[in-house]
Amino acid sequence: MSAKPKLAFFSFASCEGCQLQVINCEDELVALLGAVEIVNFREAIDERRDDYDIAFVEGSITRPEDEHEVKEIRERAKILVAFGACATIGGINAIKNFQPQEKVSQYVYGDQAATFPSYPARPVHDLVKVDLKLHGCPISKSEFLEACKCLLAGKQFTVPNYPVCVTCKLAENVCLYQKGMTCLGVVTRAGCDPMCPTFGNKCIGCRGLIDHPNVNAAFDVLEDLGLTLEEVTKDFTMFDGCHKEITEKK
Amino acid sequence: MLPKVLEKSKFAAFATALAGEYQVVGPQLKEQSKAGGETFVFGPVTDGAALRMDYNITLLSPKKYFLPMRETLLKYTTVGHPKAEAVMDTRQRVIVGAHPCDIYATWLLDKVFSTDHKDPNYLSRRERALIIGLDCAKPCDETSFCHDMGTNYVESGFDLMMTDIGEAYFVEIATEAGQALLAKAETREAHNEDFAKRQAFMERKQGGFHKRIPVDTKYLPEILEESYDSLVWEAIGRRCFSCGSCNLVCPTCYCFDITDKLNLDLTSGTRERTVDSCQLDNFASVAGGESFREQRSSRLRHRFFRKAKYIQEAFGRKGCVGCGRCDRNCVAKINSVETYTQIAGSR
Amino acid sequence: MTTLSESPVLQESPYVPRFGTIVESRMLTAQEKFFRIVMEDGRPLDYKPGQFVEVSIFGIGEAPISICSSPTQGGFFELTVRKAGMVTAKMHELNTGDTVGIRGPFGNGFDPAAIKGQNVLFVAGGLGLAPARGLIRWVFDRRADYKDVTLLVGARTPADLLFRDEIKEWQSRPDCQTLVTVDRADETWTGNKGVITRLFRKIKIDPANTFAVIVGPPIMFKFAVLEVLSEGVPENHVICSLERRMKCGLGKCGHCQIRNVYVCQEGPVFTYDFVKKLREGI
Repeated sequence: MSAKPKLAFFSFASCEGCQLQVINCEDELVALLGAVEIVNFREAIDERRDDYDIAFVEGSITRPEDEHEVKEIRERAKILVAFGACATIGGINAIKNFQPQEKVSQYVYGDQAATFPSYPARPVHDLVKVDLKLHGCPISKSEFLEACKCLLAGKQFTVPNYPVCVTCKLAENVCLYQKGMTCLGVVTRAGCDPMCPTFGNKCIGCRGLIDHPNVNAAFDVLEDLGLTLEEVTKDFTMFDGCHKEITEKK
Repeated sequence: MLPKVLEKSKFAAFATALAGEYQVVGPQLKEQSKAGGETFVFGPVTDGAALRMDYNITLLSPKKYFLPMRETLLKYTTVGHPKAEAVMDTRQRVIVGAHPCDIYATWLLDKVFSTDHKDPNYLSRRERALIIGLDCAKPCDETSFCHDMGTNYVESGFDLMMTDIGEAYFVEIATEAGQALLAKAETREAHNEDFAKRQAFMERKQGGFHKRIPVDTKYLPEILEESYDSLVWEAIGRRCFSCGSCNLVCPTCYCFDITDKLNLDLTSGTRERTVDSCQLDNFASVAGGESFREQRSSRLRHRFFRKAKYIQEAFGRKGCVGCGRCDRNCVAKINSVETYTQIAGSR
Repeated sequence: MTTLSESPVLQESPYVPRFGTIVESRMLTAQEKFFRIVMEDGRPLDYKPGQFVEVSIFGIGEAPISICSSPTQGGFFELTVRKAGMVTAKMHELNTGDTVGIRGPFGNGFDPAAIKGQNVLFVAGGLGLAPARGLIRWVFDRRADYKDVTLLVGARTPADLLFRDEIKEWQSRPDCQTLVTVDRADETWTGNKGVITRLFRKIKIDPANTFAVIVGPPIMFKFAVLEVLSEGVPENHVICSLERRMKCGLGKCGHCQIRNVYVCQEGPVFTYDFVKKLREGI
């Protein structure tokens, strides 16, 4: 890789909020721009070049024409980073996977539905090889910066494979279950500096499931706390709809 | 050294005076639930009035001041020839209000970190810390099983030990450093009626704790060994999330991970230690990918064996203080007393 | 508790690495790179074969690597590094003249004195040849101290075979028997084919006077141990070196623990009669 690696940001089905998080790295932005060159980033610059080394791909793949584009990005980029929940796990977009697709199209596009073909949302790794996944809705700024440092240093960034509970304990948070609430943190991948539980909100699973999650135990616990199976499944399908552990439950 | 009496009304001023010279950490309110339930944590104070000496138990034990959840071990630079220097916390600290179980846990960690390879980061903090204990007359709540583990009484490991005798604390002075601390308080000599009140406290304490595990815990090492192949571990393991909470809140767990952090200049950074948990999926994995404790049940069993067998065998005292923090924080409601009872029963 | 004296401790933090210079490096296979290292401060690493070091690359981290040389050879030590994680990948980018951080040596290592006067049978599979090589070199350097020496070496393919030139040299030595096999041969391979345990049919073992040193991937252990036990070698004459996640090297961090045993302290070298009692060893 050249002395100053070239970064590019792309979006598919998403809100581009993860790209906004990059701009939100106000304190570190100058240092970051000293170390890299950004050649494509429509949230922030006019330039559109395709001589990039590292591509950050936001969004899930849900239209036939996306496939060609994401494959082209894969071919050009030395490193492809799936950027944010939509790209890494299908994210919120995958809620539609559990409804009749025609109905979804009708609801969104009305009588123009035929003009906008789309299919169930898929994470980027379903189509092309992904080198690194930065999870979250939105991504975590600190994790993004850590990942950038690793990419620049030629070091593999380690995505946590432990649940949010670990970081809640490090932060000395009161467990939401002790407050009579429910929380998906027990099976959800950490890395968010547990923002939601720290401020008293339950974890909604935006970073996807850890490897080997005990989903059966999670369903049991939540049902024991009075949730119906339907409610529990609904909780999980907000973000984790593409995980086989959840689709199997459906 | 003769005990002293410190009026409760003068306690806050004492803590505030200490805060002028030391970092004073003690129990504070973290959160109050809508139903009125209170959760406490150890935290630094500058005003002694913020201390809640009526606390029952804290989320984390004072261990976090000796083995912090995260700490920097080294600073390094790679410009030219790589260089590294150790980073030590040399702050003088007073831990106020530690209960006997947490003092017992500190005694154990002192053993761990000063036996064989000394750990300078732990010892640097520990040697600069003074401990003011606070005796308890009853268990924190229904989850505690300190009496089974024999940790509700401690004879050493503190500089001062305070006992609540109503309007005042009866202060036992265990070390010269403790005596020097107490010189900052407005105390008086202990009179006969103070000794009598303390005696009454001890009698209340005697009746206040009850055994919950149906066997003498001195037999736990052999009971555990016999349970090694029991399906109990698999049965409990099926409920376990392997989330690591039990380890992370434990006052005696001391496993850790070490990772490097880079600064944005990519030529300098820190080597950091974070407390770790043997329940996590990758804890025993090697670089090639193989995990040597792949099953949840084997990880769960490992934790119980460490707590009530391995540490006992290595250091002569139990690795569990019965504080119940693991159980309170277990979303799956895995319970130590139930587990020990179950394996003792299936003996 | 013990008291620390002020400054020496800062100097002697067991977490601060010393530095070593790479004086020789070469690829052994596509995945494994060889390094010879000399400590910069002039104080040679005081080690035993079979011990390991924590190699440190600042910014990346540390990795436990077995020493593959013998202290009988001089004031350096050698490492064989398989590209498996971040640190080892970075090490593959290093060459002669580069500096690495070194902590250690850690672990018990082999005890060459304990097997003196005996026959020694080495069973080394894959990367297991690296730690075994340390003791092999020791035995050759003190050849008169040992009786019959047999080396069984296995690799997945000819391309995966470590120390090919050295193995040829061992094969030509009149004072030892060296057999090599590969699981999957290619057209260039004229030697033995099949798993390492098949080589046992080609050798003679005097069970009462033989120590078997077995080093290799976990799957190989069990079958190699079965072979030597079926030959009648006593359990306490079967010596293994176990792989675990050694992180601190100081018997504290817990990652390498097998039951109550910290592998970085009491191991990685164990006799089979000890390992079997652990039940989670192999």
